[in-house]
Amino acid sequence: MSAITSLFRNDYDADGFRTCSVTGLDVHRSVENHVKLFGLTAVIALAVGGVFAFTVAMTRWEFIGFLDPGSYYTHLSLHAWNLLIFWMVFMEIAILYVGGPMVLGRKLPLRRLASAGWVIMALGAVGVNASILLTEAPNEAPLLTAYVPLPVSPWFYGTAIVFLFGTTIAALPFFATIWFETRGTRRSLPLVAFGAFITGIIAVEAILGGIAAFAYALAWRVDLIAAVEPGIYRQLYWIIGHGSQQINLLAMITVWYFLTHVVGGAVVVSEKVSRTAFVFYLFFINLGAAHHLLVDPGVSAGWRIWNTSYAFYGAAFASMIHAFAIPAGIEAGRRRRGQGGGLFGWLTSAPWGNPVFAATVFSIILFGFLGGITGVVMGQMQVNMTWHNTFAAVGHFHATVVLGTTLAFMGLVFFVIKTMFRRDFVSNTLASAVPYAYAGAMSIVTLMMMYAGILYGVPRRTAEVVRNIPGSEFSFAAAIPIFMIFGIFAVVAIASGALFILVSVGSLLFGDRLPGGDDGGLLPEGGLHADGGQPIHAVELRGTFTLCLVFLAVFIAIYVLNWYLVTQLWSIGA
Amino acid sequence: MSDPLEDPDDDWWNSPVNRRESIWLGLAGAWSVGIFAWMAGFTQFGDQNPIGTTYDVDPEQYQERVAEYKEAAEETEDGLVPPGDSVYVGAMRFNWDGLPAVLEAGREYDIHLGAYDVQHGFSVRPEENLNKQINLQVFPGSEWVIPMTFDEPGTYHVVCNEFCGQGHRTMHGRFTVVEG
Ligand code: HEM
Ligand SMILES: [Cu+2]
Repeated sequence: MSAITSLFRNDYDADGFRTCSVTGLDVHRSVENHVKLFGLTAVIALAVGGVFAFTVAMTRWEFIGFLDPGSYYTHLSLHAWNLLIFWMVFMEIAILYVGGPMVLGRKLPLRRLASAGWVIMALGAVGVNASILLTEAPNEAPLLTAYVPLPVSPWFYGTAIVFLFGTTIAALPFFATIWFETRGTRRSLPLVAFGAFITGIIAVEAILGGIAAFAYALAWRVDLIAAVEPGIYRQLYWIIGHGSQQINLLAMITVWYFLTHVVGGAVVVSEKVSRTAFVFYLFFINLGAAHHLLVDPGVSAGWRIWNTSYAFYGAAFASMIHAFAIPAGIEAGRRRRGQGGGLFGWLTSAPWGNPVFAATVFSIILFGFLGGITGVVMGQMQVNMTWHNTFAAVGHFHATVVLGTTLAFMGLVFFVIKTMFRRDFVSNTLASAVPYAYAGAMSIVTLMMMYAGILYGVPRRTAEVVRNIPGSEFSFAAAIPIFMIFGIFAVVAIASGALFILVSVGSLLFGDRLPGGDDGGLLPEGGLHADGGQPIHAVELRGTFTLCLVFLAVFIAIYVLNWYLVTQLWSIGA
Repeated sequence: MSDPLEDPDDDWWNSPVNRRESIWLGLAGAWSVGIFAWMAGFTQFGDQNPIGTTYDVDPEQYQERVAEYKEAAEETEDGLVPPGDSVYVGAMRFNWDGLPAVLEAGREYDIHLGAYDVQHGFSVRPEENLNKQINLQVFPGSEWVIPMTFDEPGTYHVVCNEFCGQGHRTMHGRFTVVEG
């Protein structure tokens, strides 16, 4: 117990503030403690979901065939909800508190609501887990989506609503901070706070959609209404199903701007361009929910094309802006300090041994190359025919939410351990190894998922099909070699995830306490702020530009390849 | 200041944008509009579009329609030969009603897709070329009519790719496409 209370202790002045030795921010106890609370809860969810990653992956690797179909879908549901929802959303509330009151140097307003929000969210999360575990026939496991009219326990919909309600409450102190800060002034918030604010708005929209979807299904399950329309549920569901991915995306991008700055010395190359990109998200990103309905009956082609493209790809354009702006920030920041010449010297000389930096940069690169490109490609209506519900779709979203968001959040957890818990890592070597091992192994896992889906048509969400489809002579046996590679690297990826948990929890419990002004080795060479140098807009951003051209070339190649596969099909459609 | 943790300078909106960033904005913008145009254009000039006509239909009614169709179809060893250009497929836990079916290569059929109970996924591929495959969502309450022309003879396997219950993985059907 005392070990736990000591986690929430730091030296504050009489007003409860202290100055962060890394960021220089004035941090109030109330903010810091809530960030810790939500962050720790998130890590617990990650550990729980990670256990199910093991059982799920070892079942899909039919060479092992760990679970029978009876329990497979239960485990898959627990995997999805604990990771995609609980790990991410608890982290995101912590990020809102960092991006709002912490960056702005304020106390956490409405503190009671923050704590109440946590309690309700925790109850909801435990409830969802329990409802999945206690599901009995004829009810089925919900998986992530709980599509009606497949019978799913009403307790599931009810507890999911409780969780969403708690999340809304927990977000209120953030909005109150922004409100107090900007009321009556024409102030422009810092970019990180601005990004967090846009994240918050998109979160509220998503949550309202989620409550609507689950309430609709719940009303049907408890016989308040006689029938449900699968098409209507799907439209409502994807407001949150996809909306929560937009939250993950925006929170991750906000974290990218934050961490590349504090551990990499990045600057903002253009406030105008980066902020405009966030505003584009606000306008367009929600339309993208329609890309889950591209091969559904009953929705017109015009509606699908307009929405899946976020109106002429407004949101994809915004992402490509950040894809330039963030590495450019690192390049400009480091070039101005004279760190690294040539085309890529700024990058190769960066602090790669710092796991916070490595995790952030891997997240940026892998999200872009593996997650972003495949998302846009499979989001084209005709290409979607070849991706929808295949294992390749699972590959796409593990590239976004695992290689992208989870990796960035792991970096953030390491950052919080040093700057807020003020603990040194139990082992620097192990901590530094985490992003390399996790990103490396998981990249191969996601690629194998994509190959299995696109090149062999292996479906997602099934306990077995590759080696045997019961009652049929057909199977996807040709994909067996792909699954061998998948399985081996899934084990490595999960072991690296376990190492992350081990290092984090170990450092919290046994790490040395960092003395007062110590930066824990996080700050970039030359400190956070380097003076002088050329004006930013005049820095030659050759390295970033080259990287982005490579990115565009890969994008075009993958685009053409996927369309080629589409045109090889027999003729379909009016 | 150009620091993401501090308020930007007052004239941040008017600060010049780096030249290379401006070029990138142009490239990214052009690519965005280009891929939109291609996707929209492909519905006009392309041969593979997930576009058909949807009718609302009671699941029981749809089941009756499939039964009538099966009645009218000719039964052979390889499956039902449709009486006309319409092919009916009824998805149910854990079976594809109306399959296996025997079709002619090069002939356009209207494939009718609907479900009797929960959502299913209609996923089709030729046996010898697994990377040619398509996936369409099937709802109870909707009858989705999509024209298809199989140009190559062969066996096409149908699996369900939407989770529909514990027996989901056993849901398998077949089209045998013969020389027309
Ligand atoms: C080492 C890490 C991981 C491995 C090996 C792994 C493996 C898998 C596999 C094999 C599936 C597909 C099951 C199927 O469709 O039959 C799956 C599904 C899924 N995973 Fe992961 N996963 C990992 C981490 C994560 C993380 C960190 C997240 C979220 C942040 C996540 C979110 C999901 C979701 C949302 C699904 C889909 C569930 C559904 O179909 O309803 N996974 N995972
Ligand atoms: Cu099915």
